[in-house]
Amino acid sequence: MRLLKAAAELRRKGILGLNERNLRLVGELNPRHLMRLVNDKSITKRLAVSAGIPTPDLIGTIRTSWEMRYLSDMLAHPGGVAIKPANGSQGNGILVITNPIKGGYRLANGARIDYGDLRFHVMNILSGMHSLGGLPDTALIEQRVRFAGIFDDVSFKGVPDIRIIVLKGVPILAMLRLPTAVSDGKANLHKGGVGVGLDLVTGASKLGMQHDKMIDHHPDTGHGLSGLYTPHWDEMLLMAARAYDVTKLGYLGADIVLDAERGPLLLELNGRPGIAIQVANRFGLRPHIEPVLARDTSVMSLEDRIAFGKEIYRAIHAGTESA
Amino acid sequence: MTSELHSRLLAFGLIVAGLMVFLHKTVTYDYPIFPDATRTVWNLEILIEFAADNRPVRIETFLPAQSDDRELVDEQFYSGPFGLRLDQEGEGTNRKAIWTYRYPEGPKVLRYRTTLVEEGRDTPLPESMRREGRSVDLTFETSLEQQAFLVWMSDLRRRSADKETLVDLMLQEVFSPTFSDEVAALVQPLPAPLGRLELARTILETQGVPARIANGVILDDARRRAETVSWLEYHLDGKDQRYFPIGKPSVFFPIWYGLEELVVAEGITELSTQLSLQPARLVGGSMLANGAGSKDPLLTLFSFEELPLTTQLVYQVLVTIPIGILILVFLRQFVGIQTLGTFMPVLIGIAFRETALLTGLLLFSLLIGLGLALRFYLERLKLLLVPRLAVVLVFIVLCMAFITTLTVDSGFRIGLSISLFPMVILTMTIERMSIVWEEYDGAEAMKQGLGSLVVACLTYLAMTHPQVEYMMFNFPELLIVVMGLCLLMGRYMGMRLSELRRFRELSRAD
Repeated sequence: MRLLKAAAELRRKGILGLNERNLRLVGELNPRHLMRLVNDKSITKRLAVSAGIPTPDLIGTIRTSWEMRYLSDMLAHPGGVAIKPANGSQGNGILVITNPIKGGYRLANGARIDYGDLRFHVMNILSGMHSLGGLPDTALIEQRVRFAGIFDDVSFKGVPDIRIIVLKGVPILAMLRLPTAVSDGKANLHKGGVGVGLDLVTGASKLGMQHDKMIDHHPDTGHGLSGLYTPHWDEMLLMAARAYDVTKLGYLGADIVLDAERGPLLLELNGRPGIAIQVANRFGLRPHIEPVLARDTSVMSLEDRIAFGKEIYRAIHAGTESA
Repeated sequence: MTSELHSRLLAFGLIVAGLMVFLHKTVTYDYPIFPDATRTVWNLEILIEFAADNRPVRIETFLPAQSDDRELVDEQFYSGPFGLRLDQEGEGTNRKAIWTYRYPEGPKVLRYRTTLVEEGRDTPLPESMRREGRSVDLTFETSLEQQAFLVWMSDLRRRSADKETLVDLMLQEVFSPTFSDEVAALVQPLPAPLGRLELARTILETQGVPARIANGVILDDARRRAETVSWLEYHLDGKDQRYFPIGKPSVFFPIWYGLEELVVAEGITELSTQLSLQPARLVGGSMLANGAGSKDPLLTLFSFEELPLTTQLVYQVLVTIPIGILILVFLRQFVGIQTLGTFMPVLIGIAFRETALLTGLLLFSLLIGLGLALRFYLERLKLLLVPRLAVVLVFIVLCMAFITTLTVDSGFRIGLSISLFPMVILTMTIERMSIVWEEYDGAEAMKQGLGSLVVACLTYLAMTHPQVEYMMFNFPELLIVVMGLCLLMGRYMGMRLSELRRFRELSRAD
C-alpha cells in the first residue's frame, strides 16, 4: 500500500518514469535513423559547426591503428586535449590531458599517464570497448576546454557542465552538473556527480541532488549550491534550441560547457537524456512536456520557442521561485 | 495515440485467439490440464542413420516383442524406400525388423516408434522361464577352463548354505571389480557387462536355474540419447529375480534377449543408432486414447504429437523459453532489475538446465570469478579487445575441463553435466562485468551480476516447472497468449518498482 501511495504521489507531481520516457519521448520523437547524428560525436560536431554553434576545436581523429602514428603529434597540442570515443555514451572512455610531462602526460585529475598506457586506451576505443554495441569506433582528439572559474567553488577536480532538455525545439528544463570526488572528475550523475536545478528563465541555480538524494551543499567543497548565476544563459538556450534545428530530434539533451576564453561551447548532444533531472529540479517533467507536445512548434521561430519554454516554466513555477 | 490502440487491439486479439484454442481443446475434447501423476506410459523411438553407397543393404534391429502380457500401442515404422519385414523368433521372446534395399545411395534414415507401458521388478517372467530346467553340463574349450570351473564351483559350494546363497555369492564374485583367477579364466571376451552376464547365466544353468540376458532401457527421465543396458533375469525357488550389474532401477523396459547387438547392418558405412525416450505424460495419455487429433484440423495444427520423438524433445525445451522471456520482460519493465545484457539471464537460465540449479549457480559464480581475475590480469598486458576475449574463452574451457576431471575423481557428478555450459555466454558476461567494474565500481558490477543471476534463477525455475512444461508443450497456442502479453507490456508507461525507490525523495507528500 505504501508503494501504491508513493506511485500516486509521483503521478500527482508529474514525475516521468523510464518506460514513459522511452515510449512517449524517445520512441515517438526521435526516429532511429536520426539518432546516428548524436550518437557519433564527429557528426554532431560537424552539424554544430555548420549551424554556427560553437564547440571545442577538433584537433584530429584516429580511425585505424595505422593512424596511431599521428597520436603523439596531436597530443602535443598546446593547452591540452581531450580524447573521446566518437560513439561513446555516458562519458565513458573520455581522457583529458593537460600537458606533456617527462615520459608521459599529465591528466586533468592530476595523475600522470605513460605514453604506452595512452596508446592502449586509444586502441581500446578503436576496438569498440566504449562504443554502443561494441562496434569498432573512432577516437576524437579535441581541444581541452579551460573552464571559466565561475563554478570553481562547487566543483571538485573536473568538468562542470550544463544540461538543457529541448523538447521539439523548446528548451524546457535545465540543470548544472558538478563533478565530485566520487565521480572522478566527471559530471555524470550516475557516477556520483551533483545535479543542480537551474531556473530556466534566469539561469540561477537552485538546490541539488547526488545519488538521487537531495542536498544543498557540495559534498566535497561544502559550498552552498543555490543562488549561482550562469553567465551567457540566453546564449546557451539559443545553442540548445538551435541543436534541434540541425538534428530534428524531438527529445534532446544538450551538454554545454563554459570556456574561459570562448564562452559557452556545445560538448555533445544526447538522444535519450535521463530523467534524473527531475530529482535535481525537484519537480516532474510531465507538466513541462504536455504544453509543448500539444503545440505545433515547427512553425515557430527560434526566439519564439525559447520564449515559449520560459513562459511554460514561469507559469508552472510562478509562486515558488520568487524566494 | 493510434499506435497505442493498434497494439492493444492486436494484443487482445492474440490473447483471445490463443485462449479460444486452449478452451476448445480443454472443454470440447477434454484435454487434461494437469500432467498425469502416474506416468506409466513412455514413447520409445529407435532412429537409425547411415550412409549407403550403392551396395545391397540389410539392417536388422530388435524391436520390443509383443505378447499377451505386453501391449505396444501405436507402432510406427518410417522405412522410406526400404523393404520391411518383421520377424518374430522362436517362442516370441525376440522380434526383429529387417530393412532391405538393393541400391541405396547417400545418407538414409530409418525410424521405429512405439508407445509402451513401463515394466518393473514385479513384472512376471514368462511361463517358459518358470519351469525348473535340468542341470546343463558345460563343455570346455581348454582344460584350464575346466580346472578353473571345478575349483571355483567347489569353493562356492563349500561357502554357501543352499542354492540361493550360492547364486548370490556367485553373482557377487562375478561382478566384483576385481575377480579371482578362476573367474578371470572363465569370462568370455565380450563387450563390457555381457561377458560377466554370460558367465553368470551359464553357471545358473549348470545349477538348473533358468536364466537369460535381457537388454533394454531404464525408464527414469526423458532422454534424447538413451543407452541400452543389459541385465540378468532368472527364476529361483519360485521367485522371479533380476540382477542389474549397475544400479537398482525400479522401472525399465526389456527390448531383446541374448548377446546380440541391437542393430546389425550390412553394406553400409557410418551407422548411428539413437534411442530416445519420453514419458508420455507430456504427450497426454488421454489425448492418445480418444484419438481426437485426426478429426479436428485445429488440434493437429497446435500439436507436436505428429513430430518424431527427438524433435518433440527439442520443442519441449523450446516452448518453455518464451515463459522465461515473459518473466524477464516483466522484471525489466515493471520491477526494473538491472542485468548484464538483454536476454543473457534467460540464456544462463537455459544453461542451468544442464547442471541443475545449485550446481549451476556454483559453477557460474566460480567460473565468472576466475574469469574476472584473469581479465584484470590481462588488463596489464594491454591486449586488443577480440584477442583478449579469445584468451578469456580459452581460459574458461580450461577451467571447465579442470573442474570436470577434478570432480570426476572425487566422485561428484557435477563436472559431467557442464559440458554444454555455454562458454561464449560466460565470456561475454565476464567482459561486460569487468567493463562495468572499471567504469563504475565493483559494487555496480556485483549488483548487475547478482541481478542477472536472480533473473536467471527465476526463469530457470519457471521454465523447468513440470506444470509449465506440460502446459506449453500440450497447448502451444499459449505461445500466442504470451506474445499478446509481451505486446501489452510493451506499452506500459507507469513507474518501475525501482523508480519508486529512486524517486523516493520526491514521492513524499509535501
